[in-house]
Amino acid sequence: MSCLKIMDIYDYIEGSLAPEGNKELERHLSSCPRCRRAVEDRKLVAGAASGLPPFAVPDDFADRVMARIAPLKIRRPAWLIILACSTAWLAAASVLLIVSGRSGLELIAGAGHSLWGYVKTGAVFTAKAATLLTLAVKTLRPLLEAAYRGLSMLTSLVPPGFQALILVLALGIAVSLLLAMRKKLSLGD
Amino acid sequence: MNEETDRALVKRTLRGDRKAFEMIVRKYQQPLLNYVGRMVGERELALDFTQDVFVRAYASLRSYSPQFKFSTWLFKIASNLIIDHWRKKKLPTFSLSEPLGSDEDCLTLDVPDGEPGIGRRFELAELRQRIERALENLPGPLRELFVWRHINELSYEEMAEIKGLPVGTIKNRVFQAKEMLRRTLQEMS
Repeated sequence: MSCLKIMDIYDYIEGSLAPEGNKELERHLSSCPRCRRAVEDRKLVAGAASGLPPFAVPDDFADRVMARIAPLKIRRPAWLIILACSTAWLAAASVLLIVSGRSGLELIAGAGHSLWGYVKTGAVFTAKAATLLTLAVKTLRPLLEAAYRGLSMLTSLVPPGFQALILVLALGIAVSLLLAMRKKLSLGD
Repeated sequence: MNEETDRALVKRTLRGDRKAFEMIVRKYQQPLLNYVGRMVGERELALDFTQDVFVRAYASLRSYSPQFKFSTWLFKIASNLIIDHWRKKKLPTFSLSEPLGSDEDCLTLDVPDGEPGIGRRFELAELRQRIERALENLPGPLRELFVWRHINELSYEEMAEIKGLPVGTIKNRVFQAKEMLRRTLQEMS
């Protein structure tokens, strides 16, 4: 084997030669003092370079960095906002239809009613909504309070993505229940 | 495990947990300062630059892709900051993918017969001091690779990821940096 190339020497020092190449190189080193000296010298310099002293970091360095940065704005993903808005609209529309006791088609067809008819319907609707609301506040208040406490605990434990999933599922169930109860309520005019 | 911790800390920071980012700062302040310090020379400037690296990292944390190592992402920010600094100060710089011209021949074995190697001529402490001084004379891009390899102990793959170059090119340039440093050490003695 002829004298070593620099790349071979560094590969050998770093232990990245293939076992066969390593053996061949060591055979050459045992018979060539010049290459042996080249390897030894590079090992010494590399060893010394790896032990260079660290730069001293001031004790308050991290505090200084933290003083320079403003709190990050927490961004909600766009799809989550769109989903929440559409679900809210859907829920509101469903409640409106159930309370009025009319189907969506009926509402569209009834667009030709006289103004007086709308006023009458509106008055009946308001009265019924107020009655329902009072009843709901009285009966559902303890339930709502418990749900609120449960939700507070849940949001502190569950990651935001999972929270969104739970919210969507809960709204879906609520809407389905309201639709199912629609006939029973029969609050139409 | 270490990478998982980094990713978890980044996630927590993005959720608004400043303490998590402070932990990142404390973890990487020393390796970054060791690198930046040797690239800019002056201690106060190095401290300012290292702070800037963390501030920039915090501001662009949302663009961090977890498929890369967080440490290499931080070093990339630091490297870009230093290249900007060199350009502003009109310091000579070059692309590592370009040939180095006459300096390419430093990869040929050059060992004078009968003389003790550079590693044998000095005590370890003095050799380290000389290495620090010789480092200042290395061209910036090669010094950067030398520091990453020997002081930050980055792998060739990590360096290739930071510089966006093939591993072979990086390895070749690191060996070149080592040989240039050896030559400078010889000239100094």
